[in-house]
Amino acid sequence: MNPSDSDASRFKSAATDRRGERDLDDLLVHVARGDTEAFEAVYDRLVGPVYGVIRRVLRDPSQSEEVTQEVLLEVWRMAARFDPAMGGAATWVMTIAHRRAIDRVRSTTAAADREHRTAEVHTPHDEVAEAVEASLDRERVRRCLEGLTEVQRESITLAYYGGYSYREVAGLLKVTLGAIKTRIRDGLIRMRDCLGVS
Amino acid sequence: MRFLRHDQHSLSGAYALDALEGGAERDRFTRHMGRCQSCASEVRGFREVATALAFATAAEPPPELRDRVLAAAARTRQLPPEVRTHARPRRTRAWTPWVPWISGVVATASIVVAVLFGFAQAHTQQQLNQVQAENEAISLLLSSPQVTLLSHSTTKGGVATVVLAAARHQLVVWTSGLPALPVGKVYQLWLIGKTKTVSAGLLPPATSSGRTAAVLASGVVKGDTLGLTVEPAPGSAQPTTTPILALPLPV
Repeated sequence: MNPSDSDASRFKSAATDRRGERDLDDLLVHVARGDTEAFEAVYDRLVGPVYGVIRRVLRDPSQSEEVTQEVLLEVWRMAARFDPAMGGAATWVMTIAHRRAIDRVRSTTAAADREHRTAEVHTPHDEVAEAVEASLDRERVRRCLEGLTEVQRESITLAYYGGYSYREVAGLLKVTLGAIKTRIRDGLIRMRDCLGVS
Repeated sequence: MRFLRHDQHSLSGAYALDALEGGAERDRFTRHMGRCQSCASEVRGFREVATALAFATAAEPPPELRDRVLAAAARTRQLPPEVRTHARPRRTRAWTPWVPWISGVVATASIVVAVLFGFAQAHTQQQLNQVQAENEAISLLLSSPQVTLLSHSTTKGGVATVVLAAARHQLVVWTSGLPALPVGKVYQLWLIGKTKTVSAGLLPPATSSGRTAAVLASGVVKGDTLGLTVEPAPGSAQPTTTPILALPLPV
């Protein structure tokens, strides 16, 4: 059993749509060789969560579209550097997507927006509830989030969906830096167990 | 020091959610992960949680984005794979003699693993980590359920031995008895596809016994032929000489 197999099966048991996760790894190998059909398939499979998470962080639809395009081009350009031993293809792509969104939000041009965003933080819990549809996957993620303590849930959603650094999260929740690091980590450990990711 | 370590470790969650404030802090944790395997695997698991969070907030982008992205990809050059050559230790042990009469590939593979691990002698921690990572990648490949062992002589003499793991799209190559090259020339491996040829890395210099250490190549697809050419150092973007080996790969 190699790690990408076990990642894939763990992934299947996790909350999101993991049908064909293994195929996605294979598709990416073909993308690395310039196969445009494989790239179209990867696009169709992953553009939803890529765009979704970027928009969640950036809020602005046109900026989100721009960053989504950058991310998918990076997937095309960097496909040869994808290493299945380090995790599945979906995780590789989502890591790029989230990091790009964060880079954009922390860039100076976004600074003005940021003030505004800080002022209008809703309770993360409601935000999650808002985004949740009837899908089982979303339902599982929501249930797992609900299993966290309030501070754990708020720190994870503010950091991941809100794009705040852990220092900012500490400030927003009025908790010490040491405490916030621990809350995020403990919360992720609980989520990991709840979602069946080992 | 212990406190510092512990402090670093507790940043794994923030790191996985991209919640460190970039720059020094992020680099420090990345370095820490290089030394701390449990941190690295914890971050891998957390990133899967993050992926689930992303899927849970999936949204439909405007449909015209698809054409824009595909058109942009069509005019964007792709990066070649990072070439990963088994790092050469300074001191080498004698190689176990090649045993061609062992029939089972698995048995052969385990000998190869033993030899490769025997090779893992390096002087700095970084070198050692690199060798270990390479050894792990290679032994993973060799222990995958279906591997094919191929062996072929080159037109200049010498033999290339290949272990192909088609399901992983990877192979490991090593050679023995290739003629030594003049200064400024190198042996370069290629994956020759139906429409595209990509570099699969350089052969490391041979040991005094005429053998080269294993090279791991990724991204093997159906229809590929493994090629070996002599190229001017430090290697070429595309083959410039006639291959001395062209081994079709049964993928």
